[in-house]
Amino acid sequence: MNLAAKHLLLPLAALAILAVVPYFAIESFTRHLFIIAFIYAIIASNWNLSLGHCGVFNFGHLTFFGVGVYAAAILAKTYGVNPWLAIISGGAAAAASAFLIAAPVARLKGIYVVLVTFAFGQLAMQLVLSQSGITGGAQGMVRVPYLRLGDYSFIRDYKLGYYYVALGLLVLSTIFLVAVINSPFGKSLKAVRDAEDYAASRGISVSRQRIMVLVLSAIFTGVAGGFYAIYLRVASPEVFGFGTLSLALSMVLIGGAGTTYGPIAAALALTFATESLAGIRGFEEARFIVIAVAMILVLRLAPGGLLRLFEPLVPKSLRQ
Amino acid sequence: MSRFFEISGVSAGYGPITVLRGVSLHLEAGECIGLFGPNGHGKTTLLKTISGLIRSTSGEIAFDGNDITHARPPEIVNSGLVQSPQGNVLFGDMRVQEILELSAFSKRARPERAANLASVFELFPRLDERRNQKAKTLSGGERQMLSIGCALMCAPRLLMLDEPTLGLSPKLKQELAAAIGKIAEGGVPLILVEQDIEFLMALTDRLYLIEHGEVVREIDRANSPDHDEVMKLYFGEAMH
Amino acid sequence: METLIATLVSGLVLGSLYALMASGLSVVWTTLGVFNFAHGALMMIGAFVAWTVSEALGLGLLTGIAAGTASAAIIGVVIERLLVRPFYGNRNMLLITVMTTLAAMIIMEKSALIIWGARLKQLPRLIEGEVSILGATISAHEAVMIMLAPLLLLALWQFTVRSTAGRSLRAVGQNQESAALIGIDVPVAFALAFGLSAALAGLTGSLLGSIRFITPVMGAEPLVKAMIVVIFGGLGSLGATAGAAYLIGFIEALLILWVGLYWTPFMLFLLMIVVLVFRPNGIFGGKE
Repeated sequence: MNLAAKHLLLPLAALAILAVVPYFAIESFTRHLFIIAFIYAIIASNWNLSLGHCGVFNFGHLTFFGVGVYAAAILAKTYGVNPWLAIISGGAAAAASAFLIAAPVARLKGIYVVLVTFAFGQLAMQLVLSQSGITGGAQGMVRVPYLRLGDYSFIRDYKLGYYYVALGLLVLSTIFLVAVINSPFGKSLKAVRDAEDYAASRGISVSRQRIMVLVLSAIFTGVAGGFYAIYLRVASPEVFGFGTLSLALSMVLIGGAGTTYGPIAAALALTFATESLAGIRGFEEARFIVIAVAMILVLRLAPGGLLRLFEPLVPKSLRQ
Repeated sequence: MSRFFEISGVSAGYGPITVLRGVSLHLEAGECIGLFGPNGHGKTTLLKTISGLIRSTSGEIAFDGNDITHARPPEIVNSGLVQSPQGNVLFGDMRVQEILELSAFSKRARPERAANLASVFELFPRLDERRNQKAKTLSGGERQMLSIGCALMCAPRLLMLDEPTLGLSPKLKQELAAAIGKIAEGGVPLILVEQDIEFLMALTDRLYLIEHGEVVREIDRANSPDHDEVMKLYFGEAMH
Repeated sequence: METLIATLVSGLVLGSLYALMASGLSVVWTTLGVFNFAHGALMMIGAFVAWTVSEALGLGLLTGIAAGTASAAIIGVVIERLLVRPFYGNRNMLLITVMTTLAAMIIMEKSALIIWGARLKQLPRLIEGEVSILGATISAHEAVMIMLAPLLLLALWQFTVRSTAGRSLRAVGQNQESAALIGIDVPVAFALAFGLSAALAGLTGSLLGSIRFITPVMGAEPLVKAMIVVIFGGLGSLGATAGAAYLIGFIEALLILWVGLYWTPFMLFLLMIVVLVFRPNGIFGGKE
């Protein structure tokens, strides 16, 4: 129990700090940055579950996010579903889509996993673009309903409400991830990553593991997507694009593939970094170049064992 | 005067695993030497290091007066130090003649391509018969011939053969022994790695026993009258 | 009947395009075992450079195409040197190079956006006018492409079978170590493969720039199509890749006829996923 407590010290301290941030950051924009950072943190840490922890070459992770975005937007706006429910439905829809894609992917190897998961994302984007009646096509959807709690509407108070919801989601997602990783299931996932043939010979069904891990990693990612749609009140096909993908991927890599807290920290750092870059004139597009270069540098400077002995910018106590 | 080929204190391995620990051996002009010893003790690693496929962590390798310790594989082949590797996997989907022609890749070997091809087919008539077949359709013995043939196409000035008769029938072994003998008689010095001591003794002038990544014994055939003693030595030592 | 012929001809045009694109990917895959995510972006750069040389500098279309091909080839070699070579022998080379080439793609797309801007551009056609094939009408430029594609593929094939350089690429792809032992300079072979593949991409882009709009993101859709092709055909052999390319071209044309333009991409992906369920190595199988 003592050891576990020590591991929790730093994250809890971070959480405490984040909880009081709004008292110091009172402008809407700063809070907005934190909210976006929290969303990316959820995406990145959940991506780590499949990519880093389990070693599945999943390049369709952002699709789960996009599915969550559109599911929530459509439910809330077109069908008048309560936004809270819509957000949760985003998670459900994402999990369902994960199940759909996982089935064919489960038995594939190597490059085909990359190609198929990637193509899956393209598929989703094509679907969204072509069904413009439902999804708004290339223009996307706007004026998605916002969150309310009784009489309190969350667009008041410079996004204070949204801040805490986002933070709450991040906390829930992290607890979930830590629980999964430390469960017997989570440990068997690691075994599959490290020595697939050996794990298979010990009776672990590799394909079933893969399906499960993809579905699990999709849940909170979809919820984050749902929240994104409700918070920003828009849904656009850009969520399926390379910009979002590369940003999230760089957070996973820089934060440390194979760790949960690493990508979270990287998400915070990179969101602020890229936003401040966007402020500089001429850097709105160039910041993606910076991100891409950062990704390459991280890959270059981590000698051998990308998915394992990475050199995360996070102290060892947080390496889970 | 420097020796034709010399290794001094070479250590090498794979990542954190050290396989060779300060190996030293040499070859005088006109000699053929043999390397033997238990499996997995570094003979193949040594050959790979000489060919530049593995970086040595210490020591020196000199060929015909030139320091090739840090030379890259294409340079080493171009200088005439050629290896016919173990396992004869080679290029399964390519045809025998294609592979042989391609093997005259280095600048030095290219002018002699046609002549060398003819010699290889003369030495190994079976390869001639199968010249348009894909390498993966060849039998074990034929693949070994192909591997040696490729090495010959590189116009070697020093030829290293890594267990050329591994897994072959006695008859094939004899065939290959004859061919290797012809190569040596043709003026190409050999470094021959083999498990079969008799085989080595027939074809080489000196032997080195390699165990645990080191040279533990040097045996000069001319001065060692009793090859039974050598056998005992080998088996006796291998019993550890 | 008329529609069917028009569809088949359209399929031929698409197939030619896909064959050109996918063959470049195949060269890199069979030689290095790397999937180059920047392949589409190389195509795009080829188109832009061709446009700059041909239109902005007014040096003529052929010069433009040559420049487009050459510039893509150079960038391809740079990508190999900086983003692929450092990871040779790495246990996770496949995954890492997927990510580094993905990063390269983003860098190239955003750079193109900054350099050339987002406004649509277009190259003039090689030949103006239209031709009629069995009653179906296509532009003369597309007709040129239909003829050019098999020629280029044939040339590529012969290169790998007859020339020493081409054979060295095959050898390196099949057994890197043995290739080194017969004197082949493996890093040079890799650079050659990448340069050749990129040149093909640049050439394709330059040709495509006449019948489609040139934009920084024009390479994304061809890349995805090329992916589908290599998944169908397996990545192993040039012949399988070419065959799959034409097959996909025809299927796509037929799908457009049957389910309409909007549903076609979706159906193609679905088809691809179904194929993979039953043949995890692609329809023609091949090297993993």
